[in-house]
Amino acid sequence: MAFKLTKSLASRIVFYVLSFCVFLFLISLSVFYFFSKKTIEDTTRKNALSLMESTVFKTEQILLTTEKISKNYKWLIESHQLNCDSIMFYTQLIVKNNPEVIGCAIAFEPEFFPEKGYYFSPYTYRENGELHSTYLGSADYDYFIMDWYQIPVTIEQPYWSEPYYDSGGVDALITTYSVPFYRYSGQEKALAGVITIDLSLEWLTDIVSSVRIFETGYASVISRNGTFVTHPKTELIMNQTIFSWAYELESPQLREIGRDMQAGNTNFVSYVKGKTRWMISYTPLGSSGWSLAIVFPRSEMYAPLRQISIVLIILIVVGLGLLTFIITKIVNEQIKPLRYFAKSAREVADGNFDNKLPEIKSEDEMKDLLNSFEHMQKDLKSYIEHLKETTSAKEKIESELRIAREIQMGMIPKIFPPFPDIPEIDIYAMLEPAKEVGGDLYDFFLIDDKHLCIALGDVSGKGVPASLFMAVTRTLLRSIAPKQRSPKVIVDALNKSLSLNNESSMFVTFFLGIINIETGYMQYTNAGHNPPVIISSGGDVKMFEITKDIPIGLFPEHRYEEKEMHFLPSDKIFLYTDGVTEAENWDADLYSEEKLLKCLSLVKKSEPIEIVMSVARDVVIHVNDYLQSDDLTMMCVVYYGK
Amino acid sequence: MNLTKKNSNGFCILNIEGRIDTTNFNEFENEVVGIIGTGEKNIVLNCKGLNYISSSGLRVFLIAQKKLMALNGKLHLCEMQPTIKEIFDISGFSTIFKIFETEEEALA
Repeated sequence: MAFKLTKSLASRIVFYVLSFCVFLFLISLSVFYFFSKKTIEDTTRKNALSLMESTVFKTEQILLTTEKISKNYKWLIESHQLNCDSIMFYTQLIVKNNPEVIGCAIAFEPEFFPEKGYYFSPYTYRENGELHSTYLGSADYDYFIMDWYQIPVTIEQPYWSEPYYDSGGVDALITTYSVPFYRYSGQEKALAGVITIDLSLEWLTDIVSSVRIFETGYASVISRNGTFVTHPKTELIMNQTIFSWAYELESPQLREIGRDMQAGNTNFVSYVKGKTRWMISYTPLGSSGWSLAIVFPRSEMYAPLRQISIVLIILIVVGLGLLTFIITKIVNEQIKPLRYFAKSAREVADGNFDNKLPEIKSEDEMKDLLNSFEHMQKDLKSYIEHLKETTSAKEKIESELRIAREIQMGMIPKIFPPFPDIPEIDIYAMLEPAKEVGGDLYDFFLIDDKHLCIALGDVSGKGVPASLFMAVTRTLLRSIAPKQRSPKVIVDALNKSLSLNNESSMFVTFFLGIINIETGYMQYTNAGHNPPVIISSGGDVKMFEITKDIPIGLFPEHRYEEKEMHFLPSDKIFLYTDGVTEAENWDADLYSEEKLLKCLSLVKKSEPIEIVMSVARDVVIHVNDYLQSDDLTMMCVVYYGK
Repeated sequence: MNLTKKNSNGFCILNIEGRIDTTNFNEFENEVVGIIGTGEKNIVLNCKGLNYISSSGLRVFLIAQKKLMALNGKLHLCEMQPTIKEIFDISGFSTIFKIFETEEEALA
């Protein structure tokens, strides 16, 4: 039980602290992740751009060199008188001096030099490191209709051709730069021919394929109409355009990107290819109309972030684990005394108050608890001891009272009917003390063959003092009455005996009657007692004529009066104490004489036992479980006569 | 039960309010006996506010009466409610005590 308590307390604290920590970490991690992502995106964008810029720069150096060479020779040819035999030398010079150039032709218009015929195009090319010179143009190779000649002539602009594989045996990707040149006579401008420079694209492939970004990121160049010029997947080169590839991959986004690249724009966007999202950064390549792209999977861009996040999460999980362990340990350590207290409390409950308590050195709540606990132990111990004493004393008193009650109840007659041999008379009586013993009494006995003495009294107060006084009264009555026939004399004698040495001023209200069984006459004395009720055979139910005399036990010299009444056959007399008429209910309403008379009227024809029981029931109903405050005593006597 | 005390015309007047029964007659007895112990010989018990009295209460009245008689003093009761008067009549106590209708008569 104790262990369970501490365990649950620790786990509860751990739960709350951990919940809060997890909440904090989640928030921090989210913020960290969000900002890091943003930073990574920005950095990557910048990196990609600078990578592209440097690549473009390297590429353009060669392209520009090529453009510059052609420009120089264009100027040379246009501004000087030409010796047709020196043209071949020019082409040889160009190829020889520029390692990237693998071929150069200066092609003239038909019949430009009449002595050279219809075609005149000296051409020098490099093959296996050696220069070879020849003349292009024949019926089989009508160079005027070739793209490299026709396009620049038509657009009157220099022109970079689409890349192509040289058919002349050089197994390399080539592009040709063609520049038209003219001859001027005054304002007239006439086309003279085209200078072409063949450029191997090996260097471009080298430059572009040297670009690396992240794990698998790469660079690629597409030509003016979208053909892949360089790409890590060599099967794409010259075989696919970005559009055919986009179609193959079913990626409309890629097609849009291809269009944008063709338009010569610079951008940094993402697209989905298969199940991966890719990032692409692209920019045009100088005047060639080509576009350079740098491509990498987005996931790789965030790979470092993911790694850091995973490390962080592992650290957090480990940290939280440690935290759990430490909190549990601390809490368990702190509340360890509670287990002892719980154990001690159980022992206290079992009645062991000397159980040793844990030692607590800290000045904190545990110390307070210890102090309170010690205090409780001490108090409980003395309280229990006290309780034991009082309980045993009380038990003793209770058992004595029980015996006293038996003795007291033994003093009043309780056998009904009391005189089965005397048909003239029937009696029923009951006495119910409010406490174990009471101060009420009733008695009846035959003085001789024809005189019946009936008596009923109520000692002032209740409980033991009243019961002792009752016992004295009843004993005196039994000792005095048998020698007398007059109630007045009996009561006077009783009064005198009780009054002497009555320091406590106890008194008894007392009714005493002596009935002559033969005649029905009754002499009686009422010493301050409630007036009895007469239930006449005619049906009248009324309070008896009151003799206003004082209770007995007060003044030894007091002389009591005596009166007489006559019972007709079937007349009844009902005697009671104020415990009946003053029985209270919850509202402090008294049972009252009115209710008593009403109840008696309903049962006036009944036997004494039925009359007494009816009143008792009526009182119980009236009281309705409220505390019985006074002794309850009733006696009913019926005189049947002869 | 509540007991208030004032002095007038050589009498100590005690106003009794509430009820006197077995639960509080001790209190009543101690107060009355205490007042007699201080030397008051002439006492008026004004019973105007007395609602109920049990035989234990009557006993205290008797003790007071006996003590004051021994001191040649006086105990006067007054302004009893009819129900209390009836108890005094039934028990014959009306003949033991001097009972007056009003406090003025009791003080005369």
